[in-house]
Parts: sequence; C-alpha cells; structure tokens
Amino acid sequence: MSGDVLRLAGRYAVLAAAVVLLNFFIPRLLPGDPLTFSSGEGLDASAPMSAAAKEQLRVYYHLDEPTSRQLLAYLGDLARGDLGWSIARPSSVGALIAARLWWTLGLLLVSLGVSLVVGVSLGLAAGRRPGRRGDRLLVSGMAALAAVPEFLVAIGLLAVFSTGLGWVPLLGGQTAFISYGGDASGLLSRTLDIVSRLTLPAATLVLVGAAGFVLVARDAAAGTQGAPWLIVARAKGLRERSIAVRHVLPNIAFPLTTYLALRLGALFGGALVVERVFSVPGLGLLAYQSIRARDYPVLQALFLLSGLGVLVANFGLELLYLRLDRRRGTSHA
Amino acid sequence: MRRRRPGLFWVGAGLMGLFATIALLGPLLAPYEARLPVGPPLAPPTDGYPLGTNDLGQDTLSLLIYGARTSLLVAVAVTAVSTVLSWGVGLTAGFFRPTEAPLMMLSDLLLALPSIPLYLLVVTLVGPSLQNLVLALALLSWPAFARIVRSVVIEVRSAPYVEAARSLGGTRAHVARRHLLPATLDLLPTKLILTVRFAVFAEATLAFLGLADSGSVSWGTMLSNAFDDPLLFSRPVWPWLVFPPAVAIVTLILATTWLSTGIEGSIGGVPESVGAAAVESGPHAEHTESREGAALTGPRRRSRSR
Repeated sequence: MSGDVLRLAGRYAVLAAAVVLLNFFIPRLLPGDPLTFSSGEGLDASAPMSAAAKEQLRVYYHLDEPTSRQLLAYLGDLARGDLGWSIARPSSVGALIAARLWWTLGLLLVSLGVSLVVGVSLGLAAGRRPGRRGDRLLVSGMAALAAVPEFLVAIGLLAVFSTGLGWVPLLGGQTAFISYGGDASGLLSRTLDIVSRLTLPAATLVLVGAAGFVLVARDAAAGTQGAPWLIVARAKGLRERSIAVRHVLPNIAFPLTTYLALRLGALFGGALVVERVFSVPGLGLLAYQSIRARDYPVLQALFLLSGLGVLVANFGLELLYLRLDRRRGTSHA
Repeated sequence: MRRRRPGLFWVGAGLMGLFATIALLGPLLAPYEARLPVGPPLAPPTDGYPLGTNDLGQDTLSLLIYGARTSLLVAVAVTAVSTVLSWGVGLTAGFFRPTEAPLMMLSDLLLALPSIPLYLLVVTLVGPSLQNLVLALALLSWPAFARIVRSVVIEVRSAPYVEAARSLGGTRAHVARRHLLPATLDLLPTKLILTVRFAVFAEATLAFLGLADSGSVSWGTMLSNAFDDPLLFSRPVWPWLVFPPAVAIVTLILATTWLSTGIEGSIGGVPESVGAAAVESGPHAEHTESREGAALTGPRRRSRSR
C-alpha cells in the first residue's frame, strides 16, 4: 500500500524535477542568447542597451558563470521563491503573478466544479439508455462542442449574450473607475459586479469542460448496463436517481478520475485563452501581454508554475485513484 | 469487414475536400492580394468586398482564402512530422528494450506538462515563424500515439508469427518493418485525423494569443487583430470582423470531427470504447487516448473491468 504511494511520489518528484530543469534549459538550449530575450533587446532598436548595462544584466542573471553555477544559482533563487524581474514592468515576476493568480484560479475551480457536476449528471442520464435518439444527439453535440477551441465558444457566447441580448457586461473583470463603499453593501455590489462579469468566461469553460465529462461518463455508464448489481438494484425497486448516484457513479469513478487528471493542463490553457476574449485580468491576459512585450521571465514563471501545479493536482488525483483501487479490490473482489 | 460509413463522415470528407481545394487554388480564387490594403478601412460588405474589409483595408474574403492555406499547410506539415515521430518512437520503444524506459519517460514528461504555457514559452523564444511553429507543434505532439503504437507492438511482439519470423533468422529491422509496423497501421487514420485537428486548433489558438508568423495570413491572426481593437464591439461592422474567421475555424475543426466518425471502432489494438472516447473527446484527445490507452494496455495496467 504505502509502497505504491512511495513509488507514485518518486515518479512525480522526477517529473517535477524535470519541469524545473526544462525551465532552466529551454532558453539555454534553443537558438539565441537568453540575454537577448531577458533584456528585451530587439524590442526597441532605437534605444540599444549600453555595454555596461548588458554586463550588469549578465552578472545579475549569472550568465558570466559556467552553466553548472548558473543552475545552482537558479535553484537557489527558486528555493527562495525568487522568480526574477519582469522586463516590461517595474515589478518582480512573483508579484505580477500573485496579483492575477486568483482571477484565473477562481475561474478555473468554479467552472471545473460546475462542469463536473453538470457533465456527469448528463452523462449518467444519457448512459442509462444508450442508443436512443436523445442520447445520440447529446453525444454528437458534445463531441462537436468538445472539439471547438475555447476562444471560439467564448466569442459565440459573447456575441449572443453580451452584444446581442445585453444581459451581461461586455469585458473586463470589474467595472472600471467605480469606488465602492467599505461597508457590507459596497462589498456586495462589488461582488455582484465581478460575478456578472465572470459569468460568460466561466460559462465558456463549463460548456467546453462539461462536454468531455458527458462523453466519458456516458460511455462508462453505458458500459455498466446489464451488470448484475445494476439488475439487482433495479429489481429492489430503487429509484433511478439513487441507483445513478449510489451504484453507477462509484463504478464509473475510475475513468472519470483518469479523464479529469488528463484534462487539468488543457483546462488551464483554456482559461488563459478565454481570459483574452473577455479581458479578465488574470494570468491569461498577463501571458498575452507578456508575449507582446517578449517579457520572457514572466512566460517562464507561468510555465514553471502551471507545470508544477498540474503535477501536484495530478498527484492528488492519482492518490485518490489508489484509494479507489483499494476500495474496489477489497469490497468487490 | 467494411461497414457502412455514417452520413456525417461524408459531410466531413466533402468539407475537407472543399477546404483543400480553396487552399490549393487560393491565389486564383481570392479577389485581391490578401496582405495589400485594397479598400476603405472597416467597410461593411459591398460589391467590391463581399465580406467587408478590416481596419487596414484588407479584403476579408481574400484573407479568409489565404488563411485556409496557412491552416492546412500547418496541419499537413505538423501531422507528417508528428506521425513519423510517433511511429519511430513507438516502434523503437516497443522493440528495442534498452530504449524503452528513457523514451517512455520522455513521453510521460511531455504528456504531463500543460501544453499551452509550454508552447507560449517555446514559440516566443524561437520566434513564431511558420517553420518554427510547425516544428514546435510536431515535436510536442508525438508522445500520445508513440505510447499507443508501443502498446500494440508489445502485444504483437510475442505473437507466434513474430517469433517464427525471428527464429527463421529475420533481423530486428526486418521484423520491425515487415511484421510489427503493419500491425500498427490500423491506428494511422485516427492519428492523422486527430493530429490535423490538433494542429488547426493549436495554430488558431496560438495566433489568437499573438504567436503567429507576421508574414503569413491566418484565421487566428484575423481574430487576434480584431480583438486588439478595444472599441471592437462598438463598431457596427464587428460581426464581419469576427464571424468569418471564427466560422472558418469551427467548420474546419468540425469537418475533422465528422470525418473521424467514419473510422470509429476500427482502431486496432486499442479497446474500442477507449478509441471511440478519444475520437469523440476533442482536441486534447491526443492526450486522453494515450493515457487511457497506456493505463489499459501498458505497464500501469489497472483492473478497470471485473
């Protein structure tokens, strides 16, 4: 038991180390001098950097030392939580990311939760009687929806609900140039403002995210049809709802967990892209602005943090997986 | 046994043919040279400009036609390189034992990384030329099918006919080419369609995020440019700036999805439901399929069904 956990932890430790190393080596192995990018050179040819300033940067980034020393310095900086300085903005990368992290994370977690519940419920309902017209329509619709890039779904929703029906505000994370009172009602109206603006981005992620869960849950639930325990449950006269929740759901938890683990990275990527459509001031918008400004340290930090974040989440899910495996092994064997 | 293909397959095939024709005949069909400003800026559709013009006065229809060339060129190039890599790595790892652990470790790592931040990092660094874009997408999209190919090879390599071929003195290369490769070819149509879709999806997404070859016209870039305008939605012509490229991308991606309905269930080696789920479950199916496939047939096998 604990051997499994240890082996899993070892595997993820290796993967995490690889992410940290990749983050160090990608700029050094790909063509081009890391300094050219780290200093923003080529961006503004009219104001070339002085040799002294270059040398200063070289020393700051330890680029004057051998690679092994650079690696040590990089690891040391990381250990202290120092992600370097942004090129385009007068701020440390860590502060830039910390200020935007919660927009993205909130969007991601809320939409993930909702799409899990909605997707699995729909999938369970469809999987109960596979092959019916409703089931076939749902499957082909969801397959199409899951295939479309997130930002196009976002644009579709924006066109219908914002510019078309005018139900929700168009862009941004909150209304600009408004000061709210410090009291409870001010807090409430600010919250309502943010919620109304995040509805469409979240809805986009829910639509795209739920589509995959519907397909996986439906496939797995359809596979349980005719299983002896299901026939027994039906014969006992249990209500369909409780059969679905108490009997079918635990049996399809496996493929769902697997699928969820696989999707995390993609969901994060989707959130980044959707933020650009709706100008949500989260990591996605930061990424977009950093690409524009060739703000390389920011992009590196985004890669590092998202890579490690996904690994941690996956590790948690695999632990859950082990638990499920164990429970299944003892109770059904 | 050949089964009847569903109607949607033919719709998908027809659309793919249409897009290919448009891409091939591009310069003949387009009313203008796409990159030249040929009309008034932000014009609504009129006689001379069937879909209007953008903020630079470029003709939207011409941009759309030239964009099809970019999308399909990237799709074909990425698919070719990525497929060769998948099969090369999969066959090697499945058949030459010493290479198995390092190759699978590498593919595990690439599968575990969140792809979009990685693309942003790599493509920003090397510069978003068409060639670099193709290389980046291809070099990072092979692992899923490499794992599946490997799992098929592992299944087949102990089959009596392979053993016979080897005991008759067949060299490793001979056995790999004549006996193992054919066993994996059932996977090829699925890989091709999924990778084409992945490439179209990724190219559009990266272009929308500002990572596109400035020298070529692309649907994602058209959308990105439209969204660069903070007053976009206060302009009456906004639907003509947003919908043509958006509809083009969606149509091309749906065409690949419909095309894949024709090959569902014919995925050799991979359990049918897994293959079908992967075909249906969208652009990131590359990832889905591999891990599920690996979980079912690889060393991390788990008791999924009792």
